[in-house]
Amino acid sequence: MDIGYMVEIFPKLIATLPITLSIIITSAILGLLLSIGVTALRIKKIKFLSPILEAYISFMRSVPILLLLFIVYYGLPVFFSLLNLDINDLSGIVAAMITLIIFNGAYLSEILRPAYLAIDKGQHEAANSLGYTPFAKFRKIVVPQMAPIALPGLGNAVIYLIHDTSLVFTIGVVDILGKANLILASSYGENKVEVYLTIALIYWGLCLLSDRLVKFFENHTYISKIQKRRMFGSKFGKGNIQSHSD
Amino acid sequence: MFDFKVLLESTIDIAAAVPRTLVLAIVILLLSLVVGTVIALIQQFKVPVFSQIIKVLQSFLRGTPNVVLLLLMYYALPEILSFFAGILGIEFDPNNLNPVITVIVTFTISYSVFQSEIIRGSILSIDKGQIEAAQSLGFSSWQTFRRVIVPQALVEAFPDIINSLMVIIKALSLAYLITVVDILAQAKMVGALTYRYLEAFIGAALIYWMIGIILTFVANRFELKLRRGFH
Repeated sequence: MDIGYMVEIFPKLIATLPITLSIIITSAILGLLLSIGVTALRIKKIKFLSPILEAYISFMRSVPILLLLFIVYYGLPVFFSLLNLDINDLSGIVAAMITLIIFNGAYLSEILRPAYLAIDKGQHEAANSLGYTPFAKFRKIVVPQMAPIALPGLGNAVIYLIHDTSLVFTIGVVDILGKANLILASSYGENKVEVYLTIALIYWGLCLLSDRLVKFFENHTYISKIQKRRMFGSKFGKGNIQSHSD
Repeated sequence: MFDFKVLLESTIDIAAAVPRTLVLAIVILLLSLVVGTVIALIQQFKVPVFSQIIKVLQSFLRGTPNVVLLLLMYYALPEILSFFAGILGIEFDPNNLNPVITVIVTFTISYSVFQSEIIRGSILSIDKGQIEAAQSLGFSSWQTFRRVIVPQALVEAFPDIINSLMVIIKALSLAYLITVVDILAQAKMVGALTYRYLEAFIGAALIYWMIGIILTFVANRFELKLRRGFH
Protein backbone atom coordinates (compact mmCIF):
# COMPACT_ATOMS: atom_id res chain seq x y z
CA MET A 1 0.00 0.00 0.00
CA ASP A 2 1.52 3.29 -1.16
CA ILE A 3 -0.07 6.28 0.59
CA GLY A 4 2.35 8.70 -1.07
CA TYR A 5 1.17 7.60 -4.52
CA MET A 6 -2.46 8.12 -3.46
CA VAL A 7 -1.67 11.70 -2.41
CA GLU A 8 0.19 12.23 -5.67
CA ILE A 9 -2.69 11.18 -7.96
CA PHE A 10 -5.41 12.82 -5.84
CA PRO A 11 -5.18 16.27 -7.53
CA LYS A 12 -5.20 14.65 -10.99
CA LEU A 13 -8.39 12.76 -10.19
CA ILE A 14 -10.10 15.65 -8.45
CA ALA A 15 -9.43 17.86 -11.51
CA THR A 16 -12.08 15.90 -13.42
CA LEU A 17 -14.71 16.57 -10.77
CA PRO A 18 -16.33 19.50 -12.69
CA ILE A 19 -17.44 17.06 -15.43
CA THR A 20 -19.00 14.71 -12.88
CA LEU A 21 -20.62 17.57 -10.99
CA SER A 22 -22.04 19.19 -14.13
CA ILE A 23 -23.63 15.87 -15.13
CA ILE A 24 -25.01 15.41 -11.60
CA ILE A 25 -26.45 18.93 -11.29
CA THR A 26 -27.94 19.08 -14.80
CA SER A 27 -29.59 15.69 -14.55
CA ALA A 28 -30.78 16.31 -10.99
CA ILE A 29 -32.55 19.57 -11.90
CA LEU A 30 -33.97 18.51 -15.27
CA GLY A 31 -34.79 15.03 -13.95
CA LEU A 32 -36.72 16.57 -11.07
CA LEU A 33 -38.66 18.81 -13.47
CA LEU A 34 -39.47 15.85 -15.72
CA SER A 35 -40.57 13.79 -12.73
CA ILE A 36 -42.87 16.57 -11.52
CA GLY A 37 -44.54 16.54 -14.94
CA VAL A 38 -44.76 12.74 -14.96
CA THR A 39 -46.18 12.70 -11.43
CA ALA A 40 -48.79 15.34 -12.28
CA LEU A 41 -49.91 13.37 -15.35
CA ARG A 42 -50.03 10.10 -13.36
CA ILE A 43 -52.16 11.67 -10.64
CA LYS A 44 -54.59 13.11 -13.20
CA LYS A 45 -55.12 9.56 -14.60
CA ILE A 46 -55.54 10.45 -18.29
CA LYS A 47 -57.05 7.56 -20.23
CA PHE A 48 -54.47 6.72 -22.89
CA LEU A 49 -51.46 8.36 -21.32
CA SER A 50 -51.36 6.58 -17.98
CA PRO A 51 -50.69 3.03 -19.33
CA ILE A 52 -47.80 4.50 -21.32
CA LEU A 53 -46.47 6.23 -18.22
CA GLU A 54 -46.77 3.05 -16.16
CA ALA A 55 -44.86 1.16 -18.87
CA TYR A 56 -42.20 3.89 -18.90
CA ILE A 57 -41.77 3.66 -15.14
CA SER A 58 -41.66 -0.13 -15.01
CA PHE A 59 -39.12 -0.13 -17.88
CA MET A 60 -36.87 2.37 -16.08
CA ARG A 61 -37.13 0.38 -12.86
CA SER A 62 -36.11 -2.92 -14.45
CA VAL A 63 -33.33 -1.95 -16.87
CA PRO A 64 -29.83 -1.36 -15.48
CA ILE A 65 -28.59 2.19 -15.88
CA LEU A 66 -25.49 0.94 -17.70
CA LEU A 67 -27.62 -0.66 -20.42
CA LEU A 68 -29.74 2.47 -20.65
CA LEU A 69 -26.56 4.48 -21.15
CA PHE A 70 -25.50 2.22 -24.04
CA ILE A 71 -28.94 2.36 -25.66
CA VAL A 72 -29.02 6.16 -25.57
CA TYR A 73 -25.41 6.49 -26.72
CA TYR A 74 -25.75 4.10 -29.68
CA GLY A 75 -29.46 4.52 -30.29
CA LEU A 76 -29.99 8.26 -30.34
CA PRO A 77 -27.95 8.90 -33.53
CA VAL A 78 -29.92 6.10 -35.24
CA PHE A 79 -33.20 7.55 -34.00
CA PHE A 80 -32.30 11.01 -35.29
CA SER A 81 -31.14 9.70 -38.66
CA LEU A 82 -34.64 8.25 -39.10
CA LEU A 83 -35.86 11.84 -38.74
CA ASN A 84 -33.24 12.92 -41.31
CA LEU A 85 -31.21 14.74 -38.69
CA ASP A 86 -27.52 14.11 -38.56
CA ILE A 87 -25.92 13.88 -35.11
CA ASN A 88 -23.42 11.10 -35.61
CA ASP A 89 -21.06 12.51 -33.04
CA LEU A 90 -23.27 12.62 -29.97
CA SER A 91 -20.93 13.51 -27.15
CA GLY A 92 -20.73 11.11 -24.26
CA ILE A 93 -21.54 13.81 -21.71
CA VAL A 94 -24.80 14.74 -23.47
CA ALA A 95 -25.76 11.06 -23.78
CA ALA A 96 -25.06 10.58 -20.07
CA MET A 97 -27.17 13.60 -19.17
CA ILE A 98 -30.10 12.45 -21.36
CA THR A 99 -29.94 8.95 -19.85
CA LEU A 100 -29.90 10.17 -16.28
CA ILE A 101 -32.69 12.68 -16.92
CA ILE A 102 -35.08 10.10 -18.39
CA PHE A 103 -34.13 7.63 -15.66
CA ASN A 104 -34.69 10.11 -12.84
CA GLY A 105 -37.93 11.33 -14.40
CA ALA A 106 -39.32 7.88 -13.65
CA TYR A 107 -37.43 7.17 -10.43
CA LEU A 108 -38.21 10.45 -8.68
CA SER A 109 -41.86 10.20 -9.67
CA GLU A 110 -42.01 7.01 -7.59
CA ILE A 111 -40.95 9.16 -4.62
CA LEU A 112 -43.10 12.21 -5.35
CA ARG A 113 -46.35 10.36 -6.08
CA PRO A 114 -46.68 8.63 -2.68
CA ALA A 115 -45.69 11.92 -0.99
CA TYR A 116 -48.49 13.71 -2.85
CA LEU A 117 -51.02 10.97 -2.17
CA ALA A 118 -50.14 11.05 1.53
CA ILE A 119 -51.69 14.51 1.86
CA ASP A 120 -55.10 14.30 3.45
CA LYS A 121 -58.03 14.97 1.10
CA GLY A 122 -59.48 17.39 3.63
CA GLN A 123 -56.48 19.67 3.10
CA HIS A 124 -57.39 20.09 -0.57
CA GLU A 125 -61.03 20.64 0.27
CA ALA A 126 -60.20 23.19 2.94
CA ALA A 127 -57.91 25.09 0.58
CA ASN A 128 -60.52 25.08 -2.17
CA SER A 129 -63.26 26.23 0.17
CA LEU A 130 -61.01 29.09 1.35
CA GLY A 131 -60.71 30.19 -2.27
CA TYR A 132 -57.03 29.41 -2.84
CA THR A 133 -55.95 29.53 -6.47
CA PRO A 134 -54.42 26.22 -7.66
CA PHE A 135 -50.95 27.74 -7.60
CA ALA A 136 -51.37 29.19 -4.12
CA LYS A 137 -52.73 25.87 -2.91
CA PHE A 138 -49.74 24.07 -4.41
CA ARG A 139 -47.23 26.48 -2.89
CA LYS A 140 -48.76 26.96 0.55
CA ILE A 141 -50.55 23.67 1.25
CA VAL A 142 -49.18 20.91 -0.95
CA VAL A 143 -45.42 21.56 -1.08
CA PRO A 144 -44.91 22.18 2.67
CA GLN A 145 -46.62 18.88 3.44
CA MET A 146 -44.91 16.93 0.67
CA ALA A 147 -41.40 18.11 1.54
CA PRO A 148 -40.86 16.21 4.82
CA ILE A 149 -42.17 12.98 3.27
CA ALA A 150 -40.26 13.27 0.00
CA LEU A 151 -36.96 14.72 1.21
CA PRO A 152 -35.35 11.53 2.62
CA GLY A 153 -36.23 9.70 -0.61
CA LEU A 154 -34.88 12.55 -2.71
CA GLY A 155 -31.69 12.54 -0.66
CA ASN A 156 -31.22 8.85 -1.41
CA ALA A 157 -31.93 9.56 -5.07
CA VAL A 158 -29.11 12.11 -5.14
CA ILE A 159 -26.74 9.50 -3.69
CA TYR A 160 -27.83 7.00 -6.36
CA LEU A 161 -27.39 9.69 -9.01
CA ILE A 162 -23.82 10.25 -7.84
CA HIS A 163 -23.25 6.48 -8.03
CA ASP A 164 -24.79 6.24 -11.50
CA THR A 165 -22.64 9.10 -12.77
CA SER A 166 -19.58 6.94 -12.13
CA LEU A 167 -20.67 4.73 -15.05
CA VAL A 168 -20.19 7.38 -17.73
CA PHE A 169 -16.58 6.32 -18.32
CA THR A 170 -17.98 3.28 -20.19
CA ILE A 171 -19.07 5.55 -23.04
CA GLY A 172 -15.78 7.39 -23.20
CA VAL A 173 -16.31 10.38 -20.92
CA VAL A 174 -13.13 11.26 -19.03
CA ASP A 175 -14.61 11.52 -15.55
CA ILE A 176 -12.85 10.28 -12.40
CA LEU A 177 -12.82 6.63 -13.51
CA GLY A 178 -11.95 7.61 -17.09
CA LYS A 179 -9.00 9.60 -15.76
CA ALA A 180 -8.04 6.62 -13.60
CA ASN A 181 -7.87 4.44 -16.70
CA LEU A 182 -5.60 7.01 -18.36
CA ILE A 183 -3.35 7.13 -15.28
CA LEU A 184 -3.21 3.32 -15.16
CA ALA A 185 -2.41 3.17 -18.88
CA SER A 186 0.51 5.58 -18.48
CA SER A 187 1.87 3.74 -15.46
CA TYR A 188 1.49 0.30 -17.10
CA GLY A 189 -1.14 -0.79 -14.57
CA GLU A 190 0.94 -0.24 -11.46
CA ASN A 191 -0.74 0.60 -8.13
CA LYS A 192 -4.25 -0.27 -9.31
CA VAL A 193 -5.51 -0.81 -5.77
CA GLU A 194 -4.29 2.62 -4.64
CA VAL A 195 -5.95 4.37 -7.60
CA TYR A 196 -9.34 2.76 -7.04
CA LEU A 197 -9.14 3.26 -3.28
CA THR A 198 -8.53 6.98 -3.84
CA ILE A 199 -11.57 7.12 -6.13
CA ALA A 200 -13.68 5.33 -3.54
CA LEU A 201 -12.62 7.90 -0.94
CA ILE A 202 -13.48 10.79 -3.28
CA TYR A 203 -16.96 9.39 -3.90
CA TRP A 204 -17.41 8.76 -0.18
CA GLY A 205 -16.62 12.42 0.50
CA LEU A 206 -19.01 13.55 -2.22
CA CYS A 207 -21.84 11.47 -0.77
CA LEU A 208 -21.20 12.64 2.80
CA LEU A 209 -21.35 16.22 1.50
CA SER A 210 -24.66 15.67 -0.27
CA ASP A 211 -26.07 13.96 2.84
CA ARG A 212 -25.16 17.09 4.82
CA LEU A 213 -26.92 19.27 2.26
CA VAL A 214 -30.11 17.19 2.40
CA LYS A 215 -30.04 17.27 6.22
CA PHE A 216 -29.81 21.05 6.02
CA PHE A 217 -32.94 21.20 3.84
CA GLU A 218 -34.74 18.72 6.08
CA ASN A 219 -34.13 20.98 9.07
CA HIS A 220 -35.61 23.91 7.21
CA THR A 221 -38.94 22.40 6.20
CA TYR A 222 -42.05 23.96 7.66
CA ILE A 223 -42.94 20.88 9.72
CA SER A 224 -39.55 20.68 11.41
CA LYS A 225 -39.79 24.40 12.26
CA ILE A 226 -43.14 23.79 13.93
CA GLN A 227 -41.69 20.84 15.81
CA LYS A 228 -38.81 22.98 17.06
CA ARG A 229 -41.18 25.69 18.19
CA ARG A 230 -43.21 23.09 20.06
CA MET A 231 -40.12 21.79 21.80
CA PHE A 232 -39.23 25.30 22.92
CA GLY A 233 -42.78 25.96 24.04
CA SER A 234 -42.91 22.95 26.31
CA LYS A 235 -39.38 23.51 27.58
CA PHE A 236 -40.06 26.96 28.91
CA GLY A 237 -43.53 26.08 30.15
CA LYS A 238 -45.46 28.45 27.91
CA GLY A 239 -48.52 26.26 28.10
CA ASN A 240 -48.82 22.87 26.47
CA ILE A 241 -48.89 23.84 22.79
CA GLN A 242 -48.51 20.24 21.70
CA SER A 243 -51.87 19.04 22.97
CA HIS A 244 -53.47 22.30 21.97
CA SER A 245 -52.59 22.15 18.29
CA ASP A 246 -53.13 18.42 17.93
CA MET B 1 -31.05 1.05 -39.96
CA PHE B 2 -32.92 -0.94 -37.35
CA ASP B 3 -33.56 -4.61 -38.12
CA PHE B 4 -36.32 -6.40 -36.23
CA LYS B 5 -35.19 -9.82 -37.40
CA VAL B 6 -31.77 -9.22 -35.89
CA LEU B 7 -33.46 -7.98 -32.72
CA LEU B 8 -35.41 -11.23 -32.41
CA GLU B 9 -32.38 -13.41 -33.07
CA SER B 10 -30.20 -11.42 -30.68
CA THR B 11 -32.82 -11.58 -27.94
CA ILE B 12 -32.95 -15.37 -28.21
CA ASP B 13 -29.15 -15.56 -28.07
CA ILE B 14 -28.98 -13.22 -25.09
CA ALA B 15 -31.68 -15.13 -23.22
CA ALA B 16 -29.14 -17.96 -22.83
CA ALA B 17 -27.44 -15.85 -20.13
CA VAL B 18 -30.61 -15.42 -18.06
CA PRO B 19 -30.33 -18.63 -15.96
CA ARG B 20 -26.71 -17.85 -15.11
CA THR B 21 -27.57 -14.29 -14.08
CA LEU B 22 -30.52 -15.44 -11.98
CA VAL B 23 -28.51 -18.12 -10.19
CA LEU B 24 -25.72 -15.65 -9.47
CA ALA B 25 -28.23 -13.08 -8.19
CA ILE B 26 -30.00 -15.60 -5.95
CA VAL B 27 -26.67 -16.82 -4.51
CA ILE B 28 -25.72 -13.21 -3.73
CA LEU B 29 -29.18 -12.52 -2.28
CA LEU B 30 -29.06 -15.53 0.06
CA LEU B 31 -25.49 -14.85 1.19
CA SER B 32 -26.25 -11.18 1.78
CA LEU B 33 -29.36 -12.12 3.78
CA VAL B 34 -27.27 -14.36 6.03
CA VAL B 35 -24.54 -11.74 6.50
CA GLY B 36 -27.22 -9.06 6.84
CA THR B 37 -28.87 -10.97 9.69
CA VAL B 38 -25.53 -11.18 11.49
CA ILE B 39 -25.01 -7.44 11.00
CA ALA B 40 -28.53 -6.70 12.22
CA LEU B 41 -27.92 -8.78 15.36
CA ILE B 42 -24.58 -7.04 16.00
CA GLN B 43 -26.29 -3.66 15.73
CA GLN B 44 -29.26 -4.72 17.81
CA PHE B 45 -27.11 -5.94 20.71
CA LYS B 46 -24.51 -3.17 20.15
CA VAL B 47 -21.53 -5.54 20.20
CA PRO B 48 -18.52 -3.32 21.02
CA VAL B 49 -15.87 -2.73 18.29
CA PHE B 50 -17.88 -4.67 15.67
CA SER B 51 -20.83 -2.29 15.72
CA GLN B 52 -18.50 0.71 15.29
CA ILE B 53 -16.70 -1.00 12.37
CA ILE B 54 -20.06 -1.74 10.77
CA LYS B 55 -21.14 1.86 11.15
CA VAL B 56 -18.08 3.10 9.24
CA LEU B 57 -18.50 0.32 6.66
CA GLN B 58 -22.13 1.28 6.21
CA SER B 59 -21.21 4.88 5.50
CA PHE B 60 -18.41 3.83 3.14
CA LEU B 61 -20.61 1.42 1.17
CA ARG B 62 -23.37 4.00 0.93
CA GLY B 63 -20.90 6.50 -0.48
CA THR B 64 -19.02 4.30 -2.94
CA PRO B 65 -20.47 3.37 -6.32
CA ASN B 66 -20.64 -0.34 -7.09
CA VAL B 67 -18.35 0.05 -10.10
CA VAL B 68 -15.56 1.50 -8.01
CA LEU B 69 -16.07 -1.15 -5.34
CA LEU B 70 -16.04 -3.94 -7.92
CA LEU B 71 -12.85 -2.70 -9.62
CA LEU B 72 -11.21 -2.13 -6.23
CA MET B 73 -12.07 -5.65 -5.11
CA TYR B 74 -11.02 -7.12 -8.47
CA TYR B 75 -7.47 -5.95 -7.85
CA ALA B 76 -7.38 -6.05 -4.04
CA LEU B 77 -9.14 -9.33 -3.28
CA PRO B 78 -6.42 -11.65 -4.66
CA GLU B 79 -3.83 -9.81 -2.55
CA ILE B 80 -6.02 -9.94 0.56
CA LEU B 81 -6.73 -13.64 0.08
CA SER B 82 -3.10 -14.52 -0.56
CA PHE B 83 -2.17 -12.59 2.59
CA PHE B 84 -4.53 -14.70 4.70
CA ALA B 85 -3.52 -17.88 2.86
CA GLY B 86 0.08 -17.05 3.68
CA ILE B 87 -0.73 -16.77 7.40
CA LEU B 88 -2.58 -20.08 7.34
CA GLY B 89 0.13 -21.68 5.23
CA ILE B 90 -2.20 -22.65 2.38
CA GLU B 91 -1.00 -22.78 -1.20
CA PHE B 92 -2.86 -20.04 -3.10
CA ASP B 93 -2.22 -18.51 -6.50
CA PRO B 94 -3.61 -14.95 -6.53
CA ASN B 95 -3.65 -14.85 -10.34
CA ASN B 96 -5.95 -17.82 -10.47
CA LEU B 97 -8.92 -16.30 -8.64
CA ASN B 98 -12.14 -16.70 -10.58
CA PRO B 99 -13.76 -13.29 -11.19
CA VAL B 100 -17.14 -14.85 -10.38
CA ILE B 101 -15.89 -15.20 -6.79
CA THR B 102 -14.93 -11.52 -6.79
CA VAL B 103 -18.42 -10.55 -8.00
CA ILE B 104 -20.11 -12.69 -5.34
CA VAL B 105 -17.89 -11.40 -2.53
CA THR B 106 -18.21 -7.75 -3.57
CA PHE B 107 -21.97 -7.69 -3.96
CA THR B 108 -22.50 -9.80 -0.84
CA ILE B 109 -20.60 -7.23 1.20
CA SER B 110 -22.25 -4.33 -0.58
CA TYR B 111 -25.82 -5.58 -0.21
CA SER B 112 -25.59 -7.26 3.21
CA VAL B 113 -25.48 -3.82 4.79
CA PHE B 114 -28.73 -2.90 3.05
CA GLN B 115 -30.32 -6.27 3.86
CA SER B 116 -29.50 -5.70 7.51
CA GLU B 117 -31.64 -2.56 7.41
CA ILE B 118 -34.54 -4.50 5.87
CA ILE B 119 -34.20 -7.27 8.45
CA ARG B 120 -33.97 -4.84 11.36
CA GLY B 121 -37.02 -2.96 10.18
CA SER B 122 -39.07 -6.11 9.71
CA ILE B 123 -38.16 -7.49 13.15
CA LEU B 124 -38.88 -4.15 14.83
CA SER B 125 -42.27 -4.00 13.09
CA ILE B 126 -43.48 -7.04 15.04
CA ASP B 127 -45.82 -6.16 17.87
CA LYS B 128 -44.25 -6.68 21.28
CA GLY B 129 -47.43 -8.37 22.46
CA GLN B 130 -46.71 -11.25 20.07
CA ILE B 131 -43.44 -12.03 21.82
CA GLU B 132 -44.98 -11.61 25.26
CA ALA B 133 -47.85 -13.92 24.29
CA ALA B 134 -45.38 -16.54 23.07
CA GLN B 135 -43.40 -16.27 26.30
CA SER B 136 -46.52 -16.58 28.45
CA LEU B 137 -47.46 -19.71 26.49
CA GLY B 138 -44.12 -21.17 27.51
CA PHE B 139 -42.26 -20.95 24.18
CA SER B 140 -38.49 -21.11 24.48
CA SER B 141 -36.63 -18.17 22.95
CA TRP B 142 -35.61 -20.28 19.92
CA GLN B 143 -39.23 -21.38 19.45
CA THR B 144 -40.38 -17.77 19.74
CA PHE B 145 -37.83 -16.79 17.10
CA ARG B 146 -38.68 -19.61 14.70
CA ARG B 147 -42.45 -19.80 15.12
CA VAL B 148 -43.45 -16.23 15.94
CA ILE B 149 -40.82 -13.74 14.83
CA VAL B 150 -39.53 -15.26 11.57
CA PRO B 151 -42.91 -15.94 9.89
CA GLN B 152 -44.15 -12.44 10.59
CA ALA B 153 -40.86 -10.72 9.80
CA LEU B 154 -40.69 -12.62 6.50
CA VAL B 155 -44.09 -11.32 5.41
CA GLU B 156 -43.03 -7.81 6.31
CA ALA B 157 -39.68 -8.10 4.51
CA PHE B 158 -40.87 -10.06 1.46
CA PRO B 159 -41.53 -7.15 -0.93
CA ASP B 160 -38.21 -5.56 0.02
CA ILE B 161 -36.35 -8.83 -0.52
CA ILE B 162 -37.86 -9.28 -4.00
CA ASN B 163 -36.99 -5.68 -4.72
CA SER B 164 -33.40 -6.22 -3.67
CA LEU B 165 -33.24 -9.30 -5.93
CA MET B 166 -34.10 -6.97 -8.81
CA VAL B 167 -31.49 -4.48 -7.64
CA ILE B 168 -28.86 -7.24 -7.54
CA ILE B 169 -29.81 -8.47 -11.04
CA LYS B 170 -29.36 -4.92 -12.28
CA ALA B 171 -26.09 -4.47 -10.42
CA LEU B 172 -24.73 -7.65 -12.01
CA SER B 173 -24.67 -5.76 -15.32
CA LEU B 174 -21.43 -4.22 -14.03
CA ALA B 175 -19.81 -7.64 -13.93
CA TYR B 176 -18.85 -7.42 -17.61
CA LEU B 177 -16.12 -4.99 -16.54
CA ILE B 178 -14.35 -7.88 -14.82
CA THR B 179 -15.10 -10.46 -17.54
CA VAL B 180 -18.09 -12.21 -15.90
CA VAL B 181 -20.78 -12.95 -18.48
CA ASP B 182 -24.29 -11.90 -17.45
CA ILE B 183 -27.16 -10.59 -19.62
CA LEU B 184 -25.44 -7.34 -20.53
CA ALA B 185 -22.10 -8.98 -21.27
CA GLN B 186 -23.89 -11.55 -23.44
CA ALA B 187 -25.56 -8.66 -25.30
CA LYS B 188 -22.16 -7.10 -25.92
CA MET B 189 -20.81 -10.38 -27.30
CA VAL B 190 -23.86 -10.97 -29.51
CA GLY B 191 -23.57 -7.39 -30.74
CA ALA B 192 -19.90 -7.89 -31.55
CA LEU B 193 -20.73 -11.02 -33.59
CA THR B 194 -23.50 -9.41 -35.64
CA TYR B 195 -22.06 -5.85 -35.74
CA ARG B 196 -25.53 -4.80 -34.48
CA TYR B 197 -24.99 -3.38 -31.04
CA LEU B 198 -28.22 -1.40 -30.81
CA GLU B 199 -30.45 -4.39 -31.54
CA ALA B 200 -28.55 -6.48 -29.01
CA PHE B 201 -28.84 -3.82 -26.31
CA ILE B 202 -32.55 -3.32 -26.91
CA GLY B 203 -33.03 -7.09 -26.81
CA ALA B 204 -31.22 -7.18 -23.46
CA ALA B 205 -33.38 -4.31 -22.20
CA LEU B 206 -36.53 -6.24 -23.16
CA ILE B 207 -35.24 -9.26 -21.23
CA TYR B 208 -34.54 -7.15 -18.15
CA TRP B 209 -37.99 -5.61 -18.47
CA MET B 210 -39.62 -9.04 -18.58
CA ILE B 211 -37.71 -10.11 -15.47
CA GLY B 212 -38.79 -6.91 -13.72
CA ILE B 213 -42.46 -7.38 -14.62
CA ILE B 214 -42.42 -11.03 -13.50
CA LEU B 215 -40.75 -10.18 -10.19
CA THR B 216 -43.20 -7.37 -9.48
CA PHE B 217 -46.08 -9.75 -10.23
CA VAL B 218 -44.62 -12.45 -7.95
CA ALA B 219 -44.05 -9.93 -5.16
CA ASN B 220 -47.64 -8.64 -5.28
CA ARG B 221 -49.16 -12.10 -5.57
CA PHE B 222 -47.19 -13.71 -2.76
CA GLU B 223 -47.50 -10.75 -0.48
CA LEU B 224 -51.28 -11.01 -0.60
CA LYS B 225 -51.12 -14.76 -0.06
CA LEU B 226 -48.69 -14.52 2.85
CA ARG B 227 -50.68 -11.78 4.51
CA ARG B 228 -53.86 -13.77 4.24
CA GLY B 229 -52.09 -16.81 5.67
CA PHE B 230 -50.94 -15.16 8.88
CA HIS B 231 -53.63 -12.67 9.70
